[in-house]
Amino acid sequence: MTAVISQISVGLSIASILLLVALGLAIIYGTMGVINLAHGEFVMLGAYSVWFLQSTFGLNLIACLPIVFALVGVAGLLIEWLLIRHLYTRPLDTILATWGVGVILQQAIRLSAGAELRYVKMPDFLTNAVHFGSYEESAYRIFIFVIAMALLIITYLMIFHTEYGMRLRAVTQNRDIARCFGINAGRIYSLTFAYGAGLAGIAGALVSPLKSVAPDMGTNYVVDAFLVVVLGGVQSLLGTIASSYLIGQASGALAFLTNDTMAKAIVFLGVVLLIRLFPQGLFAMRVRRS
Amino acid sequence: MNIDRNSLQRLAAYAIFCIAILSVPLFVSDAYLLNKFARYIIFGILSLALSLSWGYTGILNLGQAASFGLGSYCMAMALKLRTIPIQTGASGLPDFMVWNNVEKLPWFWEPFHSYTFAVFAGVAVPVALAYLIAWFVFRARVNGVYVAIITLAMLVVINLIIIDQQRFTGGFNGITDLTTLSVFGVDFDAYSPALYYLAAVTLTACLFLGLALMNSKTGLILQAIRDDETRVWYFGYDVAAYQTFIFCVSGGVAGFAGMLYTLVMEFASPTFLSVPISLSIVIWCAVGGRASLLGAALGAIVVTGVQGTLSETPAFLDTWSLIMGALFIIIVLFLPNGLVSLVDVFKGKRQSVATRLVKPVAESEAQRVAASQQNSVT
Amino acid sequence: MADEAFLKLQDIAVEFGGFRAVNGLNLDVKRGELRCLIGPNGAGKTTALDVICGKVKPKAGRMVLKGRDITKLPDYKIARAGVGRKFQVPSFFRELTVRDNLEVAYCKRLGVFANIARFRRSAESDGLEKLAELVGLQDFLDHTAGYLSHGQTQALEIALLLAQDSDLILMDEPTAGMTTAETMHTAKILNALRGRHTLIVVEHDMAFVREISDVITVMHQGKVLAEGHATDIQSNQSVKDAYLGSGGISHA
Repeated sequence: MTAVISQISVGLSIASILLLVALGLAIIYGTMGVINLAHGEFVMLGAYSVWFLQSTFGLNLIACLPIVFALVGVAGLLIEWLLIRHLYTRPLDTILATWGVGVILQQAIRLSAGAELRYVKMPDFLTNAVHFGSYEESAYRIFIFVIAMALLIITYLMIFHTEYGMRLRAVTQNRDIARCFGINAGRIYSLTFAYGAGLAGIAGALVSPLKSVAPDMGTNYVVDAFLVVVLGGVQSLLGTIASSYLIGQASGALAFLTNDTMAKAIVFLGVVLLIRLFPQGLFAMRVRRS
Repeated sequence: MNIDRNSLQRLAAYAIFCIAILSVPLFVSDAYLLNKFARYIIFGILSLALSLSWGYTGILNLGQAASFGLGSYCMAMALKLRTIPIQTGASGLPDFMVWNNVEKLPWFWEPFHSYTFAVFAGVAVPVALAYLIAWFVFRARVNGVYVAIITLAMLVVINLIIIDQQRFTGGFNGITDLTTLSVFGVDFDAYSPALYYLAAVTLTACLFLGLALMNSKTGLILQAIRDDETRVWYFGYDVAAYQTFIFCVSGGVAGFAGMLYTLVMEFASPTFLSVPISLSIVIWCAVGGRASLLGAALGAIVVTGVQGTLSETPAFLDTWSLIMGALFIIIVLFLPNGLVSLVDVFKGKRQSVATRLVKPVAESEAQRVAASQQNSVT
Repeated sequence: MADEAFLKLQDIAVEFGGFRAVNGLNLDVKRGELRCLIGPNGAGKTTALDVICGKVKPKAGRMVLKGRDITKLPDYKIARAGVGRKFQVPSFFRELTVRDNLEVAYCKRLGVFANIARFRRSAESDGLEKLAELVGLQDFLDHTAGYLSHGQTQALEIALLLAQDSDLILMDEPTAGMTTAETMHTAKILNALRGRHTLIVVEHDMAFVREISDVITVMHQGKVLAEGHATDIQSNQSVKDAYLGSGGISHA
């Protein structure tokens, strides 16, 4: 029984990280149709930011979080402004351009911070285990879950209950008409891209104490996150959440039963099979196409 | 069949290129250089393979390295089994299997005792994999962006499996210490002119066969699929069948290139099946010209050639990757049809190349985006 | 037997997330007829065409073409059964030449391997050049289609339909954006097609509709409101209320 609970909780924390990464990706893809293959590098930048802030200023991980969000968000803003905005009419080419950006970011980090693994310290008060009766859980894993849920709620509120969110939804549904109504689509896109990047940065910050920080740590996340988006259906917040947890749990459980590699392979096969049955994702709705 | 001036010029260009690469051994006798050139030519074949599915049909295969790598492993397995008496001799097992306490040769290794089977498998295995993926994504009419993601994910998974199953695949180190391929009385040593000719002849064959294919009605339909996939269904064509066909052809060609690569490098490794290689293939194809077979091949040869002539220290390689990334972005932004599209400039076309070639692409993509956004959840 | 409906739609219903775009549509089109489908926006006209060509699957109802039930067939099999469609949004192949566009549309042989053996410039190409002449594009055969003007692209799409040579041709607002001269030219083409082909045309341009149609079907709120010749429709009160206004068919 303890093993099962432990399994579920590991799956939950994998899923939480996945959700944070996928959320940013889904928002960006859903709004702008941009496939951001550099998203993994945003995660990586988040992790390196924490390492840098910790080693230079001795900051606690928790204090780093908002700074990381801002730093990576600004990076995202710059990239959108310099590059992405020229490619809105060519979605397949944004894959290429963002892949190029990812390569540049990776190499830039490699050349500046070095290719050796770096380590980030977990905040002291979270290193202990928390006890639920006879069951023990890592406090840090709970922390990850809490932060993910908090950000999810913030994102939801932002999209559905703010002026910005309303404009975002207008622009998503029909950019040209929204612009006719005076909505500055370009600004919405920039802010959205920055927000998505910031979320990825936080994901990287959260995961940095658990795994070592390396220039190529991002690639794994981006592929997983895209599978989440593909499976969950685009423009569906619920879909992204559900498929994050589905994939996260499945990965965790399978990794426990077999090993990491086989888990990944089976999850991948599962996604491909499901896509065959639901080409628009699990949560897409039927709309009349013009 | 009438051939117009444009087509004649193109045929001439292809012919000149092929004669050039086939004549290289006449001028170059340094074995090390020949080996390097053979590598570049193989990359040219790989890039050409991607051009078939991407430039002509609009299928962005980010996992092309998987086909390449599988082909290379097939050849490596066949060569390894012939190396055994020399290198290990322990009950006919490859050395890494012995080190991993494998008792018996796995069943899927057995057929590789035959070269015929290995060559067949080197093409058939990637084709089968391509067919499998194609059956899933093209039948379901999954959108192009998702297809790209799925091919990338497939590559990552295969790479992980090969490394993980090190008892059967040599894991991280791959399959090394290979003998020389010796068939039909010819020794295809890695540093021999024979191997270079094999590569060059393969590229020549691929170029002309590819050109013939793209000039057939099937090729025309593939290009129509690239421009407006949905519309082609309404003419009655089974678009998924066409996409599957070219995806498999592309995979098969890449697999063959992989086999040649094993001969040239004298080993097979998981790095052949990696994301960086796939990225490189896409870059070569984009830089040279994705919608041109010769352009794609040239892109690969020029880029790897330049990379090879400059230094090869790790620090340089990192800077080089940075430069490549930047070049890639510039090409994507300003010259999406690659360097060969500059040819049109020299031919004195009225409109500037960038606008001429970007405009139709941009508009059709914009429509597809609009159509797919209309199609998504609101 | 000759009177048996060429295309028969029975109680077709189409739903999009709860909204019934087509709600019990019944249509009987005879072979060789030129049927016009008119009605206010949102009446379900385009959706009706979508159902016939297989773009959208009906939630209920039945479709029979030339005696064959095509309700459940996928789009490309319906196309093979003899249905061709001109869409509202421009749909041709921008990076191919006009000539190549027509070649693709000439789809007598459909298989991948059958077509490998054929050169793109086939023996039938001469026939295709005549088609280009018919729509006025003979001077543009080697131009990239993406650079044609709007009126020319409409002409191209009509030429594509002619090349496809389907028994049943569906047209969605073929004269949108055309000049009067171009519209009249299109009317001539459609009239020439009638008989050998069967046509269903969705249109808003009433002068055009009067010029070409045999029978007019008026749709409203997903089903047929009225059906008949131009004069019957014009005097029909419910049609006037829903769509035409008091001015009649020439003032819609």
